[in-house]
Amino acid sequence: MNPQVVRAILRKDVTAFGRDRFFVFLTAVGVVLYPVLFWLLPGTVDETLRLGIAPASIERLIAAGAEDGSGLATIGYDDPASLEAAVLAGSDGIVAGITFPDDFLAATAAGEQTTVALLLTADVPPPVEDLMRGLVSEVAFGVVGEAPPVDPLTEAVVLGEDRVGDQITFREQLRPLLAFFVLLVETLALSALVASEVQQRTVTAILVTPATKTDFIAAKGILGTAVAFVEAVLIMALIGGFATQAPILLVALLLGAALVTGLGLVAGAFGKDFISVLFLSVAFMIPLMIPAFAAMFPGTAGFWVRALPSYPLVDTIVSVTTQGAGWGDVARNLALLLGWCVAAFAVGVAVLGRRMVRL
Amino acid sequence: METSPSIVARDVTFSYGDKRAVDGVSFAVERGEILGFLGPNGAGKSTTIKMLTGQLTPGSGEIEVLGMPMPARRTEIQARIGVCFEEKNLYPTMSAAENLRFFASLFGVRHFDPLPLLERVDLAQRAKDRVADFSKGMRQRLMMARTLVNTPDVLFLDEPTDGLDPVSARAIRALVRAEAARGAAVLLTTHDMMEADELSDRVAFINDGRLLAAAPPEQLKLAYGQRSVRIRRRAADGSVADEVVALDAAETPERVKAAMGAGDVLTVHTEEATLEDVFVAFAGRGLAS
Repeated sequence: MNPQVVRAILRKDVTAFGRDRFFVFLTAVGVVLYPVLFWLLPGTVDETLRLGIAPASIERLIAAGAEDGSGLATIGYDDPASLEAAVLAGSDGIVAGITFPDDFLAATAAGEQTTVALLLTADVPPPVEDLMRGLVSEVAFGVVGEAPPVDPLTEAVVLGEDRVGDQITFREQLRPLLAFFVLLVETLALSALVASEVQQRTVTAILVTPATKTDFIAAKGILGTAVAFVEAVLIMALIGGFATQAPILLVALLLGAALVTGLGLVAGAFGKDFISVLFLSVAFMIPLMIPAFAAMFPGTAGFWVRALPSYPLVDTIVSVTTQGAGWGDVARNLALLLGWCVAAFAVGVAVLGRRMVRL
Repeated sequence: METSPSIVARDVTFSYGDKRAVDGVSFAVERGEILGFLGPNGAGKSTTIKMLTGQLTPGSGEIEVLGMPMPARRTEIQARIGVCFEEKNLYPTMSAAENLRFFASLFGVRHFDPLPLLERVDLAQRAKDRVADFSKGMRQRLMMARTLVNTPDVLFLDEPTDGLDPVSARAIRALVRAEAARGAAVLLTTHDMMEADELSDRVAFINDGRLLAAAPPEQLKLAYGQRSVRIRRRAADGSVADEVVALDAAETPERVKAAMGAGDVLTVHTEEATLEDVFVAFAGRGLAS
C-alpha cells in the first residue's frame, strides 16, 4: 500500500463527497434533525397508572384504601357516561375506567351477583385489564368484610437492574436507533461513491497509474469509516450519549462504522447506478435496523435478532448508556462486532476487487 | 538511455473462460515510434492493451514495457506510461485542473501545474470549469492531457479521436506526433484507417486474437494492395460510366489508351490501395465487420 496514493485518493473523495449536494443535505439533516427530535421526546417516564372510577363514591372508597406509592391513581366520575367520555378522550391522564353499578355495594353485601363494566380502549395492554379485575375483587372483599382464609403473600422479584422510579425513557430507547441510523446513511454515501467510480470507469483510469487495488479500497475504507464514525460521534455527543463510559462507546462506534463501510463496499461493487445502490443499501439496512428497534421495545429481541451483525453494537450502546455497563460487560459484544467487521470488510474487498478486474 | 524496444510482446495469449481472446501475439514498439493497432471489434485489441497496461495478466507469453517485465514490475511500469481510454472516464464534478492534479498526485508528480498541459489541448481558459459542462471534444482533449501528466515514456491511446470534430481530431493528432517526436513510444488503436495511415510509422493488423501483419502502411499497401486508374466517361447516349484499370500490369498502357479514346472523358483519378483493402486481403473481411 502506498500512503501517498491513498492520501491522494482520499483527498479527491472528500472533495467529491463535499460536492454531492444530496449527501451533504442528508448529513446535515442527520446532524441537526436527529438531535432536535431526540430532545423533543419526553425525558421522563410517568410510572403511575390512572384509572377512572364511577360512581365517585366508590372511587373515594378505593382511594382511601390505596397505599401510598402503589403506582395507582384513581379519579372519580359521577356517572358512567362521563367516565366513558373521559376514557375515550384520555382526559385527566386516565387510560381505562371501571363503572360499578348503582346497587354494587348493596348487592355485593347481600351476596348477589353484580356486573362491573371495565372500560378499555384498544391500545390498553392486557396486564392493565388484569389489574382492573383484581381491583374490583378487592373492592368486593372490602364490602363483604371477609378476608380470605389465608392471605397470600406477594413479593416482587425484579430480574436484572431494578429500574423502579428510574424507567428508561423513550428518548433513551431511541438513542441506539439514531446512532445506528446515521451509520447506515453513511453506508449509502460510500456505496454511491464506489458505484460511481465503477460505473464511470474512473477506477480503471486510477488502476493504470501506480495506484493499486489495495490503495483504492483502502482509501474508500478509510473515508467510509471516518465519515460514518465522525458523524455517529457527533450525533451521540449531541444527544448526550457520552455521559458514561465514553471510551467504550467510541470503540463500539468505530467498529460499527467499519462494519457499515464493509457493507457499503459490497453494495457499491454490485450497484449499477444510484437507484440500484439505494435498493442494495436498503436491503442491508432493514435487517440491520431490527436490533435497534428491538432496543426500543425491551424483551422483543429473539435469538435470530441477536445473531444479526448490528446486535452487538446496539446492545453495547444500550448497556453502556442505560445500565452503565463496563468493559467487562461488553467485551463479548465488542469481540463479536470486530469479527463482523472483519467479515464485512473481507466480503467487500473480495466483491469490489473482483468487479474491478472485470471492468 | 534505453536501447531495447519500449514495448515487447512475445507469444502472448489470454482467454475469457473457454474463448481465446488473444492468441500468440508478438510485436514490438520502438522508442519514438507510433504503432497503429488495427482490427475489428472483438479482435483482441483492447485485451492486448489491458495486458500491456497491467489490467489483465496474460495466460502465457511475455510482456516487457520499458525493459521491465509486466506484470512483475507493474507499479514501476505504470509510473512511466500514459493510457487514454476510449470511454471518457473523467470526474465530472471536478474541474479540468482538478482532474489533472488528482492524476498527477497519483503519479507522485511534485509541484504539478496543470495550465501548460491544458494550454496544449486548448483548454486553459476552461481550467476551473466542471468537466460535466464540457463537450465530447473537450473531454477527449482533457483525456489526452491527463494521459500526459507524468510525461510518459509509453502512450497507449484507445480511439483517441473517435467521434471528434475535425478540429479537435487534428489537435489530438498533432499532440500524438509531438509526443512521439519527444521520444515516447505510442500504441494507437483506431477504427479510422485514414488516421492510422496518417499517424502510424507501422500498423499491426489483429483479427480473431491473432496478429496478421505488422509493417509500415506504405509497405503493406504496396505489397498487398492494388493501384489503379479510374476513368469516368460520358457515352454517346449521355450515360456516365466508370472504368477502373489496374496499374502494374502488362496490358495497363493499352487498356488506359483504349479507355481514354472511347468517349467523352470527364475525370481521371489514380487510386491507391487503402489499409482497409490490405486488411481485407489478410483477414477476408473488413474492419467494420
